[in-house]
Amino acid sequence: MADQARRSGINWAGLAVLLALLVVWEASVRFGLIAFEFVPAPSSIAAGAIRLSREGILFTDLLHTLMSIAMGWGIAMVIGISIGLLLGFSSIARKFGLASVEILRPMPGIAFAPLGLLLFGFSLQTELVVTVLPTIWPVMINTMGGVANIHPRLTDVGQTLRLSPTEIVRHLLLPAALPSIIVGARISLSLALVMAIVAEIVGNPAGLGYGIVREQQAMNPDLMFAYIAVVGILGIVLNAGVLAVTTVLWPASTRSMA
Amino acid sequence: MSDPVFECRSASVTLSLSGGARPIISDINLDIQQAEFLSIVGPSGTGKTTLLRMLGGLLHPTSGEVRVNGAILTGPPEGVVIVFQDYANALLQWRTVAANVAFGIERKLPAKECTDRVNAALDLVGLSRRAEDYPWQLSGGMQQRVQIARALALRPAVMLMDEPFAALDAMTKAGLQDELLRLRDQTRTSFVFITHDIEEAVYLGDRVAVLKGSPGRIEDIVKIELPSLRDQISTRQMPEFLAYRYGLHKAIGHG
Repeated sequence: MADQARRSGINWAGLAVLLALLVVWEASVRFGLIAFEFVPAPSSIAAGAIRLSREGILFTDLLHTLMSIAMGWGIAMVIGISIGLLLGFSSIARKFGLASVEILRPMPGIAFAPLGLLLFGFSLQTELVVTVLPTIWPVMINTMGGVANIHPRLTDVGQTLRLSPTEIVRHLLLPAALPSIIVGARISLSLALVMAIVAEIVGNPAGLGYGIVREQQAMNPDLMFAYIAVVGILGIVLNAGVLAVTTVLWPASTRSMA
Repeated sequence: MSDPVFECRSASVTLSLSGGARPIISDINLDIQQAEFLSIVGPSGTGKTTLLRMLGGLLHPTSGEVRVNGAILTGPPEGVVIVFQDYANALLQWRTVAANVAFGIERKLPAKECTDRVNAALDLVGLSRRAEDYPWQLSGGMQQRVQIARALALRPAVMLMDEPFAALDAMTKAGLQDELLRLRDQTRTSFVFITHDIEEAVYLGDRVAVLKGSPGRIEDIVKIELPSLRDQISTRQMPEFLAYRYGLHKAIGHG
């Protein structure tokens, strides 16, 4: 059903509600219904965003955040998929490793921020520590689950069609696990964005997250909100981008995903 | 009579399960001729699937031997392929129908020959027009035909089928039964067909083997002497058909 909505194009009804909310917000500020000093109208936020992009600083910050997300997510993918495959394929690895996974996983990644600061100071390394650690889990758990839930019949099929063990892994088991891996990768990507912003707020004075703090401290709520809006849009764009790429590369694997 | 394609000589399979070693099938003696249709019936729990997996080389006999074209079987042999009951698990959901059918041959044959064989196999099962669809876009009967086409593309000497129509409705089942008999005549493939449906076993089979007991043994092999051109309505009404059905029910212990 989500599929259908997606295919039929733009959700006009949903957009209309969003637009109405913006209009209500704008009107409330203009007519003084909202008395808070630091809540600007959407029009001033938009003007702020335009000013920031004219100055070029918005683009620099966006680029920094995009780069940290790409690096953090990339590192988490490599670690998460490797360990996930190991845990999925090997019952021995599960027997010895699963307890550690279950203990470490619920730990909030942000708790490692002070450690990162201690080790690396206010730097990109700190940002990566904060981004990578929590981002590993979703892709690792989904990869493990995807492999462990492959129906044993697929191995039978590979054998009766006389594939070698490596061919069975490559042509049957990995493709069968791929949809789960992609789901995990998408969850990890959303998380990488959140953690990169958090890291920029607390640990690395750069990027969009720092932009929010900087403008807050400079008492520029319109610019602060402009940064927040850009972060929101970035989240939507990243998710849509991953979905589009996977739909093109593996049309069948995204059938049941929304 | 020519040499059999398949021979089992007092083959037994014992599986080591959590409760210790358990014999599943015991002392199986079978010959299968070229283009023969051998049905195997038996109640559940008599090792029908184990027997088929042994013939397909997925399980090694614990004792005795299985030969294909004279050579002792050590793994899945060339020219023998299994068609499984659960087509949804056995098909590659991320591949189109045509790509599923190509799966068994694409790494072994040049692209041109592969395409030709895929088209021929799809033609044989009547799915040429659905080649670019994905399995989940097809009905259950069509999905099972895709699996049969994938097996046919290998040009097998023997097709081993494990209750392939058990999950299908009666009308689809009847259509596929006739399709199998036609395929046998066109391709001269031998069939070993496991079923728990006695009527299906008689309708399709040149011979029907009865598997019984625990561990399962071949209790009886009945030669079915019905006209070779079978018809869903008239064949099933023949007194001989009913007599075979009655006899097999008795042999299995239903009567």
